[in-house]
Amino acid sequence: MKSIPKLIRHLVGTLLLSALFLPVLNVLVLGSLLSTQESNIIPPWTTAREAADDLQLTENGYMISESMGARLSAYDIWAFFIDNDLQVVWQTDNLPDSIPLTYTPSGIANLTRGYIDGYPAFTGESENGLMVLGYPKESFWKEMHPGWDYQLIKNAPKTLLFMLLFNVAAIFLIYITANSTLLKSIKPIVNAIQALPTGEEVYVPEKGLLSEISANINRTYEILQSQKYQLRKKETARANWIAGVSHDIRTPLSMVMGYAAQLQEDVTLPKMAHDNAVSIVRQSEKIRDLINDLNLASKLEYNMQPIRLAKENIIAITRQVVVDFMNTDMTGKYPIVWETDESLPPCFISADKSLIRRAINNLIQNSINHNTQGCTIYVKVTTDQDTAACSITVADDGIGISEEQVDKISHAPHYMVCDENTGRQRHGLGLLIVKQIMTAHGGKTIIGKSSRGGFLATLTFPPDSSEAT
Amino acid sequence: MNDEYLKTKRILLVDDEQDLLDMVTSILRSDGLCHIETAGSVREALALTETFLPELAVLDVMLPDGSGFSLMEKLRLKGDFPILFLTARGEDGDILQGFGLGADDYIVKPFLPKELLFRIMAILRRCYKNDNPLVTLQNSEIDFSRAEVIKDGIHIPLTAKEHDLLSALYRNAGRIVTIDALCEAAWGDNPFGYENSLMTHIRRIREKIERNPSQPVSLITVKGLGYKLITAEQENRRLL
Repeated sequence: MKSIPKLIRHLVGTLLLSALFLPVLNVLVLGSLLSTQESNIIPPWTTAREAADDLQLTENGYMISESMGARLSAYDIWAFFIDNDLQVVWQTDNLPDSIPLTYTPSGIANLTRGYIDGYPAFTGESENGLMVLGYPKESFWKEMHPGWDYQLIKNAPKTLLFMLLFNVAAIFLIYITANSTLLKSIKPIVNAIQALPTGEEVYVPEKGLLSEISANINRTYEILQSQKYQLRKKETARANWIAGVSHDIRTPLSMVMGYAAQLQEDVTLPKMAHDNAVSIVRQSEKIRDLINDLNLASKLEYNMQPIRLAKENIIAITRQVVVDFMNTDMTGKYPIVWETDESLPPCFISADKSLIRRAINNLIQNSINHNTQGCTIYVKVTTDQDTAACSITVADDGIGISEEQVDKISHAPHYMVCDENTGRQRHGLGLLIVKQIMTAHGGKTIIGKSSRGGFLATLTFPPDSSEAT
Repeated sequence: MNDEYLKTKRILLVDDEQDLLDMVTSILRSDGLCHIETAGSVREALALTETFLPELAVLDVMLPDGSGFSLMEKLRLKGDFPILFLTARGEDGDILQGFGLGADDYIVKPFLPKELLFRIMAILRRCYKNDNPLVTLQNSEIDFSRAEVIKDGIHIPLTAKEHDLLSALYRNAGRIVTIDALCEAAWGDNPFGYENSLMTHIRRIREKIERNPSQPVSLITVKGLGYKLITAEQENRRLL
């Protein structure tokens, strides 16, 4: 649930940045617009002052230079000059008739501040009097009445900054208010999407701004559930089928094994018949192991095998499996050497005892199955000094396996779990079960070549599993 | 192993497969067990026990007119004899249910005759050990009913722990019993840290049963794994 605060931070950050950026952008745009305008038109007050300076008293009266005259007429500006006696002593030819030719001081004050008969008027002073320029009507807007409080102008930068911040805060508040509804609708949707892969139950109320999306999420959850149910049903059916077949085969196989074993014990039997009986016993034991393995492998694969975890001493479990083999190996073809350091303290892990026994059993049985001529099997439990992780190692001095076979066992899919037609499918369920059991315990299975030339398998349990009970 | 006294025990076999009943009967008979009766259903089994009170029952779990588990509960009312399940139902849940109801053992089919015989004899030995006057070892005899060892005509008493340990070893005579299983037999569940005590007790038992405790012939150490009790009969058979 880290995404909602992250989303809010991102949105608010963008908003604040744009709130600050927009006024700056406006000032820049306005400034550039004004500067463009000013470059095109000479400011009227400047023109008036220049015209006042340009007007010279000659023998023929007041005269304006030709260039100034041209400049005024180019912009359709009329002008007159009031001397210090308040009389109009000079005027341009285009002065409209409606413009009075005598002025009182209040009249001058008025025209300076505003308009003469609707013409915006601008004044420029000289030592002889006052030049008055009249621009065409509606060419300038003049308002010179207001007087500004000095403190107000002095504080203007601060006031502006305050206004700016106030605006930003106001925009922020408006934004949060407006978006809280949206965020409220988004939150359950985000929660639901995050819950979907975990398999938790998902339901989003289908209301608010995003009700359509909520409905789609609910629908997706329903589809996923239904697919999961269908898959589970198929897997259960397959596992039940395997369990059923392996159950039904047990009683007939008991008969085969029982009678064959009796024949094997019968000393009156001719040698050939005796050898056949031995072979039937051996092969039926293989069938028995296969149906046991097939059933367990399918249950582990489809998560139908309950894992009963308890605090177990790995050394005791391994010792029992080794002793069980030693007690049943009547031929002495497969001696087992117990290499565990006797000073090693009990190694506790959280494990399902019967499954761990099965894994060790399969490894020892694997050495026996692949070495019909006999071999010595070495079993050892060790504890890693740094991580305290427990490992069980089963090795033999038999025929062993090639690098290619190690690669195949480690990487090629087993036919039990393979969903495509590949020539690289593996057979033999013993090691598959070992791997499945170790995976269920969070441990690792390493297959390789023993230093004694034979097969080597190491089962390592995660160190923290000893903490669990 | 002086097991002759067990061969006369009455055994009831219940399974709906007549072929299997015949085979198990022949396996047991070939080993010398002679008092065997069979039944194909719960009803037949209950009727049979009116006249034949077994001293050990071997039951299938799935019977045509009920489950072996419920049959076991009914048989328990008739007498306190050991019950062993022999069934095709090998799920952990079934096995736990069987033991939970008080079954003495649970064997999943298919099985080897030797295994079945070993398990049956182990149960009989455990349950009827007091019927046996003496267990003969190479240099002494054990009288479990009196908790004593007789060596050279001298009666040496066994302590409770020594009795527990010898019983566990005798039940599995000829087989290795792990250090852990022996500790559990003597000290109960979670028997960790008793290895040194176990060694002390084993040494004392050897002093009682062996001629030369430092070179034992009846109670053998299997280094790092456990101990094995060898009876005189087993030793004689081995030498043959």
